[in-house]
Amino acid sequence: MNLCVENQTRKKAILLAVSYVAFSGVFGTVMATAAEKVVIATTGGAYERALREAWFDPFSEQTGIEVVTVAGTNAEMRAKAAAMVRSDNVSWDLYLQGDIQASSDEHAQYAQDLSGFCDEQFSNNADLTEDACTAAGVRLLSNATLLAYRQDAFDGAAPESWADMWDLDRLPGGRSFPNFDDPWRVMAAALLADGVSREELFPLDIDRALAKLDKIRPAVSLWWKSGDQSMQGFRHGEYTIGQIWLTRAKALKSEGHPIAWTHKASFLVGDRIALIKNASNQDNALRLLEYWLNSPQAQAQVCDVLSCTPPSEAAMSMMSDEARDDMPSTEEIENHVVVPDAKWINDNAALMLERWNSWIQ
Amino acid sequence: MRKLSPIARDGVRRRFRQAFTQTSFRHYSTALSLYLLAPLFAVLIAGFLYPIGHLVKLSLFSPGLDFSAYIRVFETPLYMAVMARTFRVALAVTVLSLLLGFPVAFAMARLKGRLALVAGAAVFVALWSPVLVRSYAWIVLLQRNGMVNQFLTETGITSEPLRLIYNESAVILAMTHVLMPFMILPIFAALRSVPGEYALAARNLGATATRAFFRVTLPLSLPGVFAGCVMCFILALGFYITPALIGGPGTLMMATLIGQQATALLDWPFAAALSTVLLCLTLFFVLVFRKVLSFNRGFHGVG
Repeated sequence: MNLCVENQTRKKAILLAVSYVAFSGVFGTVMATAAEKVVIATTGGAYERALREAWFDPFSEQTGIEVVTVAGTNAEMRAKAAAMVRSDNVSWDLYLQGDIQASSDEHAQYAQDLSGFCDEQFSNNADLTEDACTAAGVRLLSNATLLAYRQDAFDGAAPESWADMWDLDRLPGGRSFPNFDDPWRVMAAALLADGVSREELFPLDIDRALAKLDKIRPAVSLWWKSGDQSMQGFRHGEYTIGQIWLTRAKALKSEGHPIAWTHKASFLVGDRIALIKNASNQDNALRLLEYWLNSPQAQAQVCDVLSCTPPSEAAMSMMSDEARDDMPSTEEIENHVVVPDAKWINDNAALMLERWNSWIQ
Repeated sequence: MRKLSPIARDGVRRRFRQAFTQTSFRHYSTALSLYLLAPLFAVLIAGFLYPIGHLVKLSLFSPGLDFSAYIRVFETPLYMAVMARTFRVALAVTVLSLLLGFPVAFAMARLKGRLALVAGAAVFVALWSPVLVRSYAWIVLLQRNGMVNQFLTETGITSEPLRLIYNESAVILAMTHVLMPFMILPIFAALRSVPGEYALAARNLGATATRAFFRVTLPLSLPGVFAGCVMCFILALGFYITPALIGGPGTLMMATLIGQQATALLDWPFAAALSTVLLCLTLFFVLVFRKVLSFNRGFHGVG
């Protein structure tokens, strides 16, 4: 081939490539700024669907602001948010953070302090729970990790405590526990089963917990890593008693499976919505948060589906009777439901995980 | 600027052209080679060397020189035990893939017509389907009420369902399934380039079919075997999804540990230290493997 022609072709190709990059860059920016939007990272699945129907879509309709969702596990979201802030390349606005992690010092490095917003908007709102809006973020909902079981498995008998989960003679069958990066729930259940009182649970006695877990380990037929896995395992009869999330137990019940649970063996956990530092759509994000706390209707709709406790008192009264029956009673909350010691868990997260890994490996 | 005479200009142009064109059938000139390799080097430096350097730096400086992360890796029994398991599982997967994959590659290279198409399709469909799907397929097969257990209990071979999943054997099995195409294809390519006449010549000189295979065909396929083994081994070392889905207690692997430190605990220096140790050990084993193979007389084509 003639060299000149070859050179020209190459030049043309380079020119084309450069103009393509430039064009798509400009075009992309134009597209991005054309519509008002807010980007929120959630855990996806049934959870996100409920939020979208009750909250995001009505919000977009009212304000014209598009809500873009990104899915990931809690740990992934946390890591990604941290990476975005550290590298000064923030593409999200809001992300969900577990209540426990939200109270850590690390969280404050990556999430915007919302105390100004809270004071201005919600300081005199009697309808909301006390911690509905804090510096760390806005309360999305409260939820439980609890003991759930197959209703037809024990001839009418029913487990009522963590100690019953260890009682393999009276309540035979496979057991299930979570096995992910956050092992405090399993250790806490073991300690309660071993006779530790709720008041003396924290700080957790890790040695004692692992010794108690040794006793049930052969009976554990499923160590689940994701909520979907805990559901799939129940559907296929992999276990009869398990420590799972109430939202997932509720989903199984809605599917028609014979599942029941007890709030007498349950841990209260919640999700918060945090505003990431240097978010590009900060104003839209704050409007979205405002909309959530001011819309008991949306909260009620979400918690009807997910069986959670909304931050608004008014929302609770709007929920269906059936959903309210699934919520813990006042007696159960006062005498049984465990509220974890977030500070201790955050301070000892690395130690707990290393001990857990050594035990489970 | 001094104008070049037409003849001199032609000379420059010719030399320039020579620098960028093939001078013989087998060899490219140095300039052309560098030019052709430049994009690869650019991608390697930007996408591999720079991040790896950053990773090593992250594990060593916080901000002063600090070896505490490495001391923790080597002093805590957990990390060494998991490291050992990771290499053991990767080795088992590589050996299994080789034993199961070589016959497939051999058949693919020798088959003709429709059968060759079927064999090729079987390998490529496996390669193209997502790892996640293939791992889930194993859950469907091996779970408590899965197909295998149903078959075993209904035929009366076992009285109650066996625990087939969430253990190390299941992880090895599923990983072998996922990684086999990476073993089969390089061996297939190597075997395809060995003319069938070589084996015929050996037979003609009095070798049995087995002897002809072991003395002629197999040695000539070793570059493919090496490439397949290295690829399988390295991919197996970093496997994340399959052990997470198929594994249970007792199957913790390095990738999971690194992921935990990076995402759940945000301890990036320690995650970087774990990654660096894994990377160094991987390079070490690949070099050892290469040495061992090229010690064998006559296999200079290896690597």
